[in-house]
Amino acid sequence: MKPMTKFIKQANLAILLGISAMTVMAADEKPAPATDAAATAAPAAVADDKPASKAPAKLAIKPWWAYQPVQAQDVPTVKQKQWVRTPIDAFVLAKLEEKNLKPSPEADRAAFIRRATLDAWGIIPTPEEVKSFVADRSPQAYEKLVDRLLASPHYGERQARRWLDLARYADSTGFQNDTTRPNMYRYRDYVINSFNQDKPYDTFIKEQLAGDEIAPTDPNVIVATGFLAGYPDNYNSRDLVQRKYQITTDNTDTIGEVFLAQSVACARCHDHKFDKISEKEYFQLQAFLANTSEIMDIPAPVGAQEIEYRKQLAKYQEATKDIRAERKAILDPVREKGLKYYRERYLTDSRVSIVKPESEWNPHDRWINHRLDNVTTEEDIAAYLDVAGTQKESTEYDPKLTEKYERYKKLGEDLKKFDKLKPAKGSDKITAMTELGHPEAPATFKFFAGDHERPLEEVQPDFPAAIANGEKPVIVPTATSSGRRTALANWIASSKNPLTARVYVNRVWNEYFGKGIVSTVSDFGKAGEKPTHPELLDYLADNFVKEGWSVKKLHREILLSSVYRQSSGSRADAFKADPENRLLAVFPRKRLDAEQIRDSLLVAAGKLNDTVGGPSVFPPVPKNLGAGNLWEVSTDTQDFNRRSLYVFTRRSVAYPLLETFDMASPQQVHSKRSVTTTPLQALALANSDVVYEWSQNLAGRVINEAGNDQGAELDRLFQILFARNPDKAEKDTLLKFLAGHEKTIKDKAESGKFAIAVPIGVKEDKQLKDPIRASAFVDLVHTVANSNEFAYRN
Amino acid sequence: MTTKSRRDFLKSTGYGVGGLALSGMLPALGTGFGAAYASELIDPLAPKQPQFPAKAKSVIWLHMSGAPATVDLYDYKPDLIKLAGQEVPPSFLKGIKTSTQGGVGKLFASKRTWNQHGDSGAWFSDLLPNLAQHADKLAFIKSSTTIGATHDISIMKLNTGDLNPGRPTLGSWVSYALGSANPDLPPYVVLYAGKREPRGGGVNWASGFLPAVYQGVAFRPGASPILHLDRPELVDAAQQRDSFDLLKRLNEQRGARYPEDTELQARMRSYELAYRMETTAPEAVDLSKETAATKALYGLDDEATKDYGTQMLRARRLVERGVRFIQVVSGTLDINGDSRDWDAHQDLEQNHSTHAKAVDKPIAGLLADLKSRGLLESTLVVWTSEFSRTSYGQSGSGRDHNPWGYTQWMAGGGANAGFTFGQTDEIGLQSVGKKVDTYDLHATVLNLMGLDHLKVTFLNHGRSERPTVVYGEVIKELIA
Repeated sequence: MKPMTKFIKQANLAILLGISAMTVMAADEKPAPATDAAATAAPAAVADDKPASKAPAKLAIKPWWAYQPVQAQDVPTVKQKQWVRTPIDAFVLAKLEEKNLKPSPEADRAAFIRRATLDAWGIIPTPEEVKSFVADRSPQAYEKLVDRLLASPHYGERQARRWLDLARYADSTGFQNDTTRPNMYRYRDYVINSFNQDKPYDTFIKEQLAGDEIAPTDPNVIVATGFLAGYPDNYNSRDLVQRKYQITTDNTDTIGEVFLAQSVACARCHDHKFDKISEKEYFQLQAFLANTSEIMDIPAPVGAQEIEYRKQLAKYQEATKDIRAERKAILDPVREKGLKYYRERYLTDSRVSIVKPESEWNPHDRWINHRLDNVTTEEDIAAYLDVAGTQKESTEYDPKLTEKYERYKKLGEDLKKFDKLKPAKGSDKITAMTELGHPEAPATFKFFAGDHERPLEEVQPDFPAAIANGEKPVIVPTATSSGRRTALANWIASSKNPLTARVYVNRVWNEYFGKGIVSTVSDFGKAGEKPTHPELLDYLADNFVKEGWSVKKLHREILLSSVYRQSSGSRADAFKADPENRLLAVFPRKRLDAEQIRDSLLVAAGKLNDTVGGPSVFPPVPKNLGAGNLWEVSTDTQDFNRRSLYVFTRRSVAYPLLETFDMASPQQVHSKRSVTTTPLQALALANSDVVYEWSQNLAGRVINEAGNDQGAELDRLFQILFARNPDKAEKDTLLKFLAGHEKTIKDKAESGKFAIAVPIGVKEDKQLKDPIRASAFVDLVHTVANSNEFAYRN
Repeated sequence: MTTKSRRDFLKSTGYGVGGLALSGMLPALGTGFGAAYASELIDPLAPKQPQFPAKAKSVIWLHMSGAPATVDLYDYKPDLIKLAGQEVPPSFLKGIKTSTQGGVGKLFASKRTWNQHGDSGAWFSDLLPNLAQHADKLAFIKSSTTIGATHDISIMKLNTGDLNPGRPTLGSWVSYALGSANPDLPPYVVLYAGKREPRGGGVNWASGFLPAVYQGVAFRPGASPILHLDRPELVDAAQQRDSFDLLKRLNEQRGARYPEDTELQARMRSYELAYRMETTAPEAVDLSKETAATKALYGLDDEATKDYGTQMLRARRLVERGVRFIQVVSGTLDINGDSRDWDAHQDLEQNHSTHAKAVDKPIAGLLADLKSRGLLESTLVVWTSEFSRTSYGQSGSGRDHNPWGYTQWMAGGGANAGFTFGQTDEIGLQSVGKKVDTYDLHATVLNLMGLDHLKVTFLNHGRSERPTVVYGEVIKELIA
């Protein structure tokens, strides 16, 4: 409620002071009546008003800071010079000194390595890693640690998850049918590999926006366009013209938000109220994407996965050869009529393209017909056979087909029996965006109020003038493509673009410190927040480009800074002077995000399967989820313990254990993880069978590693989960619990329901004599894993 | 209190009393659920006052999934019956984009008999004999319009106002604006008939860009309605009580280092809420204590009405427990061997008589029961669908999708009972005069909840978003 009341207060204030007549009007403004397509255009933006306290009157004169070129910065002079390890520190310290605040002391080494490992890898460190770092007396101890973290494939996995949030990554289309996209994992793996190889960020951008134009024959680059191809889609849409518009809109808005932190979407229905992006400019951005089509059958380079996939597929095909042949033979005679019937079911403006012979297609018709091809299946012909064979009142009815349909249906049931022979996951194809081998693009129009049925003038690809600072697109068509996206990518990935580097370094900063230098990480427009440390932001952006857009170097500098090394211990003076900790006098603590919680529990349990990449997996879900065939649990139990970023992202069925901890929604760009605290989260960690079983494993591991010594066990448990030993008071609490809890478990035995949980995986020589005590220990371990300290990064 | 006597205490107080039983031993929680919020903790679900006095405290949002033909239920059109079998006069098709070339069939009348009911004289077809008895409780919207030719898109619009995923649903806005009236239950609950989640899933009760805490919680069929509500098989209640006591102590011992961190305190408290939810949630959906008469009222004694009746009775129990928004999605039923929702492209007779039978008595039972318990005044019941069905036929025995003109209704919760707003043309195809779009319906529902749809806002990416996107008008005539 807070943001809302805050906003209302500000709006009221605006009315009182009369500062922002425009803002106030906007809230009541009534848009044109909603025609079909105007609402298709949806979040139009009369509600774009921003808090009135940031009245735009003066800003209009001075160019907006974020559109100014990035400036190289002089490192400020500070008093506490010995604290400065990196230029970052000087920028932060300068602001602290202005407020007479001292930075916090260094975090102890164990806390530091837990923090850095969670940040860089997304999991907790092992006690051995902690011990060796704590004991490392070399002056390069921190550098060695940070370089080790950045060299591990876990680094790429962690950074990829952040990027996939932005790319609204999913393994399915969403909407009602939520069809599986079996090839999309290749894009996910591309992202992981890019971070692990420290691919320069400018290259990373270009490949995702125009990989098919830049390297049309290189599957490892083409796959990057999965960034564009990941839009939510419904294959059953009967309005293909609307679909094209919605896909282009998704791509345009996603690009604007992810790379440029501009909510360009506002300008789709009206000139942007705060940022200088006109409606025309918005559609000029759309024009870069006008000729882009999804293609799903590019052969993938053949590796072990593909060989295995094909082997399994061949088995299925062999076993079902006769059934499939007979089904095809039934459909063949009605294929033409069925196809005609099916195609007539598209809306009027789609049909204009559909009925045209291929020789007469213009680029727009080509797009529509390719789309139609992509979504037409045998089932559509079968649906016709159903109507013609069984619907007596239908004009298509033909009694001769009744038997054929019945037979077809029966064969379908037979075929289903072989489903378990199908490859359970994976593919041998790549999905990408391409221009289907044609350089000519369909025309793009500006639409009245964003309504695609009300086109106004035609527009050409161009950059928003306010951001472009005079730069114009240089479009060089290739033999097979319009070259438009390459031009767009070159502009975005240019060192001269005032936004790109700033936006990215700010995202990385946000990951480490829980708040960006610009806190609205995806809005650098006038409705967003201004930077708390503008010089630092420019220093980071400038240096990022100078260092060849190296993402690892950026992480390294932050990880090795004194700012990052501070303790997170509570400080009354800092809290009083800067309650939101915007100046970073204290290291900001943070609840682990969904993936960090699950993956760290797996690490603690000693169960993590750390295979990198590959098709997405389906770990078990609660029995009462009711997701039917949208969530068929993997048959390979090894899959259960993969890192969370490999868990299948089904747009309509979120994996419950992650969802409850505020995982990213894959429907749109997800810029920032929120932290909510709910009883449903407590239920998940306390009651999930999976988490409980991991606790049993963790208990077993502790016993194996600590021996049958109670004190040593408690030490070990805390070392694993918290990177520290319990203090005396905590030990007392735990021992008291064990004593009482053994009694509780005995009571259970007396009530006749004696089934107890015991540690899993205990080695022969460590077997416990007393099962009740062992069971009490499992509950202790489970409880400690539920504690606040585990769920936080200090 | 020792651990043992604490358990005994729980036993002796019935163990299912939730907050009451626990309050004696957990001083931090105070007494009863009102007091649980008295603490200074920041809780996103803390109850909030409406912006102006609310007529409705709870909403039951009945989504008839698959889109029933309201010309066969409420919208009596003698001319349609007269003209049945003829081509649709072109004047009636003006201004609309019909979805299929081959699909605009001849005008089609189903085998209905129609009668007027109540003082209001509202028309009902013979498909809804029980609901017809409550004619005077309903406020009809006969000029509903929406967008789209595809179910999933229009269902998303029905719930979020948008055709693409990403916006919060109406229920999410309500829980965001009003919080929870009962900390032991989520403020926004989704019920569904049938064994599996409705297709399209969580998008239709998602919180979109609002924090996830405001999303709907799907209550699953069976005794254990919430995911992870049951303890692990080998952990009993006493064990968990021990564990949660330990957890509290550990959290307090360590948390002393961060006295200003309210998030840590909230997380500590969330385990106590969870512990109570383990009993309150199953109890909320446990129908075993309902009388045989009540069960019969909802049709639980008949296989045809049992499933939907169960959802209706659960809905009433949730209303009694302060849940703000209950979204009920109708399920699929066996129609000539196929599992189908209201989507009657063919076999409308069989389809609609089966579906109408499944919901008619349960909804009538709900209205009667709410009334007799004095809850109808503060409970808004809304019959909605993503769109409806055409006056012209399809496949000779069914109807196609109609987003241009159809009927929805509201009852209780300050709705203008006995009133009919708007109308369709003579054949029931398009709305004429003032139309009511999804946004208007949402604005009106929010108004009855004491919320101004223009002033419930959330700042997202620099945009001040509101529930009705950039549209919406409260239909004042629908408010008593």
